[in-house]
Amino acid sequence: MRESKVMSTREAVSKFIENGMTVAIGGFFHGISYAITHEIIRQKKAHLTICQPSFNEHADQLIGAGCVDRIISAYVWMEVFGPLYCFRRAMEKGIPHKIEMEDYTNFSMMARLMAGALGVPYIPLHSLMGSDMMKHSAWMGDGKVKLIKDPFGSGVEHAVVPALVPDVGYFHAQRADAEGYVQMWGICGDLPWSMRACKKVIVSVEEIVDRRVISGDPNRTILPGYKVVAVLHEPFGAHPKNIQGYYDVDRDFIFKYIRESKQPEDWRKFMDEWVYAVKDRNAYSEKYIQTFGLKKFLSFKAKDMSCTSVNYGY
Amino acid sequence: MSPYQDFTLQELMAVAAAREIKDGEKVIIGTGLPLLGATLAQKTHAPNMVAIYESGAIDCKPLVTPFSVADSVLAPGSAMQGGLMEGLGMVHAGDIDVGFLGGGQIDRYGNLNTHVIGDYRNPQVRFAGSGGNNDIGTGCKRTIVMMLHEKRRFPEKVDFITTPGFLSGRGQREKLGLPGGGPSVVVSTMGILRFHPETREMYLESYHPGVTIEKIKENTGWDLKVSDHVRETERPTPELIRILREVLDPTGIFLKKE
Repeated sequence: MRESKVMSTREAVSKFIENGMTVAIGGFFHGISYAITHEIIRQKKAHLTICQPSFNEHADQLIGAGCVDRIISAYVWMEVFGPLYCFRRAMEKGIPHKIEMEDYTNFSMMARLMAGALGVPYIPLHSLMGSDMMKHSAWMGDGKVKLIKDPFGSGVEHAVVPALVPDVGYFHAQRADAEGYVQMWGICGDLPWSMRACKKVIVSVEEIVDRRVISGDPNRTILPGYKVVAVLHEPFGAHPKNIQGYYDVDRDFIFKYIRESKQPEDWRKFMDEWVYAVKDRNAYSEKYIQTFGLKKFLSFKAKDMSCTSVNYGY
Repeated sequence: MSPYQDFTLQELMAVAAAREIKDGEKVIIGTGLPLLGATLAQKTHAPNMVAIYESGAIDCKPLVTPFSVADSVLAPGSAMQGGLMEGLGMVHAGDIDVGFLGGGQIDRYGNLNTHVIGDYRNPQVRFAGSGGNNDIGTGCKRTIVMMLHEKRRFPEKVDFITTPGFLSGRGQREKLGLPGGGPSVVVSTMGILRFHPETREMYLESYHPGVTIEKIKENTGWDLKVSDHVRETERPTPELIRILREVLDPTGIFLKKE
């Protein structure tokens, strides 16, 4: 039996996320770990560079809490829900401090992470060409994107972007075993490439399952155990976002966050109530039920739309 | 009289977007009006349209209208489920016919800005960034742009090019080797605009009911050319309005009452 990587979120964040690190935060709306994000904020991690193709209000909370110095991303916003005010305050007015963003596109972020995951130094692409993202850089200078001529003689000049290898990555999935073999289904977004690019990965899951469950359906596994350093059991860990087959999005709560983050004082109150004063995810779920009622909590529970199984026989 | 004789501006725009899609096309869609437009096309004249979300849902036929590009309702209705590498990878390869775009600013040659108003390093207003905007505008065979029509949003030149339209005009996309063809139409809150096949400059094709050509010119930051055949935008039929309201948005989340 290999070593179990199951531990508390507090221990994992304290052990594996250090000030100044480059942290990939996986999940594209679906599969974001708010459990880990909130623990990073409670532990007051600082000077982080956060990276991900598209960020939602989890990034806004990290920025407002002063954990972030730099962002490598294509997008920081909450889709049709609205803008992210901590992000805008930091970019426009330097509140709580000035941050920098190295702007890419969703696909060029994926390309950088794919190069990182494959261990190659750079990767060519069509995206970015002709845009002002080619001309402007926050801190990477001409190391952000370069033009090279196709070495195979087509005469075409391509943009190339450098590999991105974050120090650590984290995300939320449906299930994993104790060794860190993670299974995910539904919208995958940046996954698994963003996590394969990382030196190490922390994963929070709805359920920790036996190896036999994982090896019974190995095509659903998105990460090998050797990449994963910590497995955290965090039911409801993606709230207010969704995780397929467990619970749906809590739109009201996202709107509430956006409304209350407009003014820094209101934002602080929200964070005191939902992050700082809550010791862990269990306490968060309890608080949610106390505040909004069990009926509301259960209203997000996923319907049973289980699929037919396949035959792995030989 | 049918209760669907009246329509709102948003409904008119969703219908105009739907009319741009041909049956059988592969379409990458975002949230909001583009989603309603594309889904309306699928429910009416384009039943064989292949709907793709950049988050990785491919050939989706969700039972209820999704709210986000990564909504849980997308997966059980999809024929294939992957991630950005699948969704945007196919766009990057030039496989996708139509993409929907929007932005804070659009200019004379259809370049889009979703980054900043003002100076890039010290912005007056910071927007979301590209997301998949640049990728879709680079790779799709053509794009449909949906815009709020205001003078500050239609400047002669955008403050920042997030997504190249035709850059400075004729031949520019080709010179850079961009795989996609660029914007084919702008559905604005005032009218429908297209791009001259030679010069690649935006011109007015039609004005929405109740809007004048003068008002559109006043709200455009350059001397906007007007088609010789300019006319009023085709009104939505009552049947299309019924499908929009009753089938696609029964709870009125997307189409707010005016």
